This record gives sequence, structure tokens and C-alpha cells, in this order.
Amino acid sequence: MVDAARRPWFPDFCRLPRIAAVLAIAELVVLIIGLAPTQTQRWNAQEFLAASAFALWLGLTQAVVYCKSRTSIDALPQSLGLAVALLLPVLIAAFGAIAVQQIDVGLGTHYTLPESQRLRFVASIAALSMLISALSLRYFYVSEQWRSQVHAQAKAEVDALQARIRPHFLFNSMNTIASLVRSDPVTAERAVEDLSELFRAALGAGHGESTLAEEIHLAERYLAIETLRLGQRLRVDWQVAADAPGELRMPRLVLQPLLENAVVHGIAPLADGGEISIRIGAMAGKLHVQIRNPALAARGIDIGNHHAQESIAQRLAYHFGPGARMVRSYQDGFYLCQIELPLT
Amino acid sequence: MKVLIVDDEQPARQRLVGMLAELGDCIVSGEASNGREAVEKAEALGVDAVLLDIAMPVMDGLEAARHLSRLEPPPAVIFCTAFDEHALAAFEAAAVDYLVKPVRRERLVEALERARRSRFSATAEPTIPASLVQRQRSHLAARMRGRLRLIPIEDVHYLQAEEKYVLVHHARGEDLIEESLKALEQEFSDRFQRIHRNCLVANDEFLELRRLVDGQVQAILRHGKEPLEVSRRCVPTLRERLKHL
Repeated sequence: MVDAARRPWFPDFCRLPRIAAVLAIAELVVLIIGLAPTQTQRWNAQEFLAASAFALWLGLTQAVVYCKSRTSIDALPQSLGLAVALLLPVLIAAFGAIAVQQIDVGLGTHYTLPESQRLRFVASIAALSMLISALSLRYFYVSEQWRSQVHAQAKAEVDALQARIRPHFLFNSMNTIASLVRSDPVTAERAVEDLSELFRAALGAGHGESTLAEEIHLAERYLAIETLRLGQRLRVDWQVAADAPGELRMPRLVLQPLLENAVVHGIAPLADGGEISIRIGAMAGKLHVQIRNPALAARGIDIGNHHAQESIAQRLAYHFGPGARMVRSYQDGFYLCQIELPLT
Repeated sequence: MKVLIVDDEQPARQRLVGMLAELGDCIVSGEASNGREAVEKAEALGVDAVLLDIAMPVMDGLEAARHLSRLEPPPAVIFCTAFDEHALAAFEAAAVDYLVKPVRRERLVEALERARRSRFSATAEPTIPASLVQRQRSHLAARMRGRLRLIPIEDVHYLQAEEKYVLVHHARGEDLIEESLKALEQEFSDRFQRIHRNCLVANDEFLELRRLVDGQVQAILRHGKEPLEVSRRCVPTLRERLKHL
């Protein structure tokens, strides 16, 4: 499960588009300074080019240093990392400013301030550099956050689509109903109602949330149909604690796919079937869901649709944040799936 | 025409029984709820056609079709499945037809007609496609005085080659099968270890390897009546593989 807290916060500067963006920002700053109305005379073309070259050089150095130090900065506590990230441009700019001024004085070009004001030149370049860096870092951070959020949301939607009910189930259920229509019309009618409810939920799985009570209801409908199909082979033991928060909001179709997994990969391959036990209850500020079913030993922990389970874990993580946990295990012929969700 | 209906779901069987009763010209000889039962009943009842579900416990329909093809004479197989995910076309050769559930009456009539034709005209044995042969079976089939006997693979303790047969030592005795040890070794490579040119032993049968004074190595088995000889050539690989079990 993706742990949101451990995601790196410092932007990645080791990419060409990002370096280009840094250079564009540097040039933009030069333009702004050049266009700013002042009492002194404006830059001529040469001075503008010199200032641009200096700014681009600083920007490029800055990008390279950020690129190389990303992992070390990310390893620090966030506030300390931020301080380091802002101190780096000050040092780089100060060093650059001193060097440029030395060259300027040596060549006698007089693009920078006179040597008597060296400290002012260095300090103002360093301060400018830090402010611009702070602004850019913030910009890159926000755009990366936004991008990853869009990505996570798209993924959650795709996952929801994948969580839809398997075609196998539809056709088997239809077959069961076709059989019951003659022998037991009342049961057949109820099966059609159950099936409709399930598919209504499945077809809307991408949109909107559900609640724990709705999820339980849907899972019961699903198991009712499977019981018609498998008869005595499928036995179900529901234990929903009185304190289970039925109104808890959660993604749609979380419980049903897990039970489908238990039926299809656990119970159906057993000649004599078995019992699925479902326990739902709240404890220590968390909702605990436990699904346990017998399964053939040979299939072990990898039984079932791994992908569907991953997708459920992803959707829970997206909805509940890092507090959501899903653990699967296999022991002594029983497959166990445990889910923990924060209740806040 | 005598028909056997095989499905692990009671309502599915019930529907086919009802439909066949209405058609009139077929007799439902029996019902089975998994592949193994299907093979046993098909032989015992001498049915002409089998309506065979694919996803079933114990032994699935595809493997059952493979064993059914060895009966004399083999019944016509009609697969019935909920969803043709198994690339059923590939398995068509093992069956006279296949139907998707819920089965339509007209399609059922058509499939039974095909079964009747294949059954009462050319009694050519159906050719089992390679894709079906390569799948690992859940049972070995031994022919005993003309009768087919199915041995669950997990009951097999060890296999010994004897001339053109293989002697299967299993939980309920010993049976001869007409297969090659080499083919068995390939099919069940994850389940058996070769200890000799003529012997394969199930992984969980090994108790210990014992070295005799003359340097000869013997394998002591959980269910073996006597220790089995391990050939010198097999000792290093055997030790290595047992370490990882």
C-alpha cells in the first residue's frame, strides 16, 4: 500500500523539462529587473546579455546542485530540509557574484557595481536568488502534488472499473435463474432482484461513494445468489458487531469482490465446499473487517485475483489515506483477508 | 441416446435434465458433480454422450474430456460453460460441440444431433489437442481388466518404470499405466523427483537419504515398504533439490 507520508516532497530537478523551466525562470527574473522603472539609466544590449548569462549560469548551477542533493534533502526532517534547500541558493549566488565581480573588475567592463560596493552586490544577488528559489520550489512542489493527485484519482477510477463483477458470475447466475423459473418462481424472482441490485452498484462503481451498511447489504445479495448456485457447499457466517459504523463512507464495491474471491477461489474448488466467515467490528478507533475461508493448500496465499485485491487496497488507501491496511495470509488450509480502516 | 449430465451446480443440472426430458429422444442416465465422478459414471453407465461443465472441483471438465476419450467406446463430449474464457475453440477437437450457459433449447438439440452422428457413424477416437495434453492432470488413469481407474495425483507415492508400463504406487495400492516415465516426469516436474533411471518419487515422500558402507545411497520413503535405490548420477541433484523443499 502506498504510504503518503513517505512520498518525497522535494521536487525532482534531474529532468530536462524542469531544467528548462529553471532557465526560463532565471531569464524571466532578468527581464523583470531590466524592465523595472528606475532613476538610473537602462541596460544596454550588452549589459542585458551579460546579466542574462550570469542569471542562466546561476540557474543552471542551482538546478544541478538541487538535482544531486535531492535524496539527501529528502532524508532530512522537512523543516531542516527546507532550510538547507534555501541556504544552497544563497551560497551558490554569493560565490557566483564574487567570481563575476572579480572577472568584471579584471576585464574592466563595469557591468556590476564598483568594487567599493562589492558587499552590496553580493548580498543583493544572494537575497534575490533565495527569494526566487523559494518561489520556484513552492511552484514545483504544488505542480507535482497536483500531478500525482490527478494520477491517483485516475488510477482509483480505473481500479473501480476493474473491480466490476466477473462475466462468469453473470452467466452462471442467469443459468441458475433460468433453472429456477420453472421449479421455484418465487426464488427466481428474488434472484433477479438481487442480481439487479448488484449490477446497479457495479455499473456505478466509478462514481460516488458507498457506506459500510450498503457494502454489507450488497455482499449479502451477492452471497444469496451464490448460495442458490452452490447450495449446501456454500455456508456463510456473518458476524457484524453492534458498534460497526454503518454510515461510514467508503469506496463502492470493496466487500463484494473479496467475497467473490473467497467463493470462486476458495469454496468452489472444494468438492464439499466450506464456510466463509465474515467479521466486522470497531476497535481502538479503527474498523476491522475479516474474511476467512478454506482454500486448497496448493494455491496458498496467491489464490484469487491478485490484481483485484491490489486494486481494492489502492482504492482504500486513496480514500482513507495511510491509515488503511489490508493484509492477506494463508495458514492451515484457511485463507484470511484482514482490513483496517481509520474511523475519524 | 443415453446422456450423462455433469455440473457442480445443482440448478444447472436440473435445468438440463428438464430440457432433455422435454426433447424426449434422450435418456438422462445419470448426473455427476465433478470430472472424476463423470468419468467413473460414464464408464459404469455406458453413456453415449456427456454434457460436461468446465469449471468444477476435484477434476475439471477439460481433464475429464481427456480421460473420457480413453473409454471404449468414448462417449461424445459436449462442453457447457458459462463464459468461453478457455479459448474453447482450441478444445473443440476434444468435443463434438460446446454450449454456453444458459443453454438454448435449439442449440442443445443441434449439439445432441452432432453427438448422435459422431457416435453412430465414424467411431474415430477424438484427437486431443496439444494444448490440452500439456496441462497438468489431477488424476492418472489406469486401465484394469478393461476398466478405467482414476488415481488422484496427490495420492501417488512413487512411480516405477517396468518395461513399457509404469507401476504407480499409491495410497490405495498399485496400478499399471501405459505412459512413459519421461513424459510423467515432464508433466509433474514440480511434484516428483527422479532418483533412478526407472523411478520417480513424490516430494513429500522423502524421509531421509541413507548411505550404505559400499557407497550406495538409498532413499527411505514415508510409505515405501522397502528403501529405494538412488543411482549415483541422481544423488547430487537430488540432495540439492531436497534442500529447497
